[in-house]
Amino acid sequence: MKRRTFLQSTLAAGVSGALGTLAACGPSGEVPQSPVTYTPGQAMPWINWAGNHSCMPKWRTSPASEDELVAALKSAKGVVRAVGAGHSFSAVVPTDDTMISTDLLSGLVRHDPEKMQATLLAGTRIHDMGPLLHSVGQAIPNMPDMDYPALGGAVANSVHATGTSFGSMSSYVTGMKLATVSGELLECNAEKNTGIFQAARTSIGALGIASEITLQNLPSYNLTEVNRIEKFEDVFAEIEARCQAHRHFECYPIPYSSMCITVATDIAEPGDKTIGEDDPQAVNTLRTVFDAVSWVPVIGEGLYEKVLTAAMGDTADVIRTGPSYLVFPHMRVVRFREMEYTVPAESGPACMREILATIKQKNIPLSFPIEYRYVKADDIWLSMFEGQDGCSISIHQFGDLDYKAPFAEIEPIFWKYDGRPHWGKIHTLGEKQLAQVYPRHWQDFQEVRRELDPEGQLMNAHLKGLFGA
Amino acid sequence: MKSRAVKTCNTRLNTLLFAATIIFTMPALTAPDARQSTLFANNCAQCHTRAETGAPFIGVAEDWREAVARGEDAMLINVVQGIRGMPPLGYCSSCSEEDFRVLIRMLAGIPDDLLEGKGEQQ
Repeated sequence: MKRRTFLQSTLAAGVSGALGTLAACGPSGEVPQSPVTYTPGQAMPWINWAGNHSCMPKWRTSPASEDELVAALKSAKGVVRAVGAGHSFSAVVPTDDTMISTDLLSGLVRHDPEKMQATLLAGTRIHDMGPLLHSVGQAIPNMPDMDYPALGGAVANSVHATGTSFGSMSSYVTGMKLATVSGELLECNAEKNTGIFQAARTSIGALGIASEITLQNLPSYNLTEVNRIEKFEDVFAEIEARCQAHRHFECYPIPYSSMCITVATDIAEPGDKTIGEDDPQAVNTLRTVFDAVSWVPVIGEGLYEKVLTAAMGDTADVIRTGPSYLVFPHMRVVRFREMEYTVPAESGPACMREILATIKQKNIPLSFPIEYRYVKADDIWLSMFEGQDGCSISIHQFGDLDYKAPFAEIEPIFWKYDGRPHWGKIHTLGEKQLAQVYPRHWQDFQEVRRELDPEGQLMNAHLKGLFGA
Repeated sequence: MKSRAVKTCNTRLNTLLFAATIIFTMPALTAPDARQSTLFANNCAQCHTRAETGAPFIGVAEDWREAVARGEDAMLINVVQGIRGMPPLGYCSSCSEEDFRVLIRMLAGIPDDLLEGKGEQQ
């Protein structure tokens, strides 16, 4: 039985029966999720996935080749920004001047079976990347839990998954071709243009636009993922051991409850079978339960715990097995807004506990499960994992609910633990604070940025804030 | 490095072949050009060819009946602004209004002359 079905049946039979007057207290009605309105025949706005940013570019272009990309950058007017899938929650894309979309720069360019490396066009969506690599016997060692972004955007923002032995997407990049605003096409790797390489592997699109990206892969492999409902304290009492025991491990504590969802993923064993179904609507069901009982004075929280325990406590594991590129990603059909910081790995448990306690103490309206992951250290200048193993904690809010006030309550907790914000997610840090959390290479990056974009053509309002440009 | 241009994959080919079948079995449909086909494969196909997403399935008239009844302009507004699980622009930042109209007609399997300008936004 799907968790949603289980929750719905429990909600119907239990909560509604016991508290019949709650029937009208379900989730709030649908509200417009778009920040702007569009009228056919008029200029079309650009809007990001989460619907929290928009712009009205005067010039749009979609180059279909490297030459066209270089020409587009060279002739770009005003502030120029690149866009792939538009999945970032931060305002890295908006420009009212020139927008360059990488949709048509998609595909596998070449591969090296000896080195297990493959070069893809930077606009390739991650959901296409898996099958393309599989067709030549390769697979990326780790992959995000959703596959909508473009490869170029994923690398520019150091998109990551979980696993104490695995780095971010950027850490698997062995070489890139970068088109600059001056019309140059620069090759960079560990031997050539090394400074640019260290900056470009997490650049927030501040150096130019990648045309090609080469990845260090593994031979194709299969995974088995086990999803389980557990007690948060049981999991956190042995969090290090859990991470060591599995190739990938993450958990999702559920605010206002003692429960969490755990996801453990390992190389598939012969005989592994898929059991149950992934339920992309599960968070909506969780919200329905939360909305139904959380308003009840005093007893609301306890009631929520009881309903969740009854509904999910003995839910059977959901197991998914298959090729890695099909097991890593999950569908996202519920829109949300997300803030994420990475704190030093050893600070992860304390930071997580403080966030959960703060939500409870201040009665912050967040019912969306919080994502808790570990990522291996790297040496990329502006990677969130530069120089230290990281613990990434992601706070989500439903797309039709206010996120600014709840996030403002949580964000200072991350600062207390020396957190580094995810470049593609919501945060409020500017140049001064960012320079402090990247003490080793902030100025190195700035020098490369000024060299490649001396006029600041790639600096939209958000990036100006980040880099003090 | 061994050079080998591999620009397509089985999954995408299957999707495009399926879309082509839909197009050629329906009357008076504007066929997407090569560029629009690529945009479809990179964006629309990731939901509208996967039943488990709950999105209306390409070419299945019943899935599109309500949306079609509201008219093409209403569908276009929903695509650009996003609706429920569908993100704004359907992930396609390269798509123009013309691209969206061609792709909407292909996905819904509706002849060109049936939809133009009909109805209001949901």
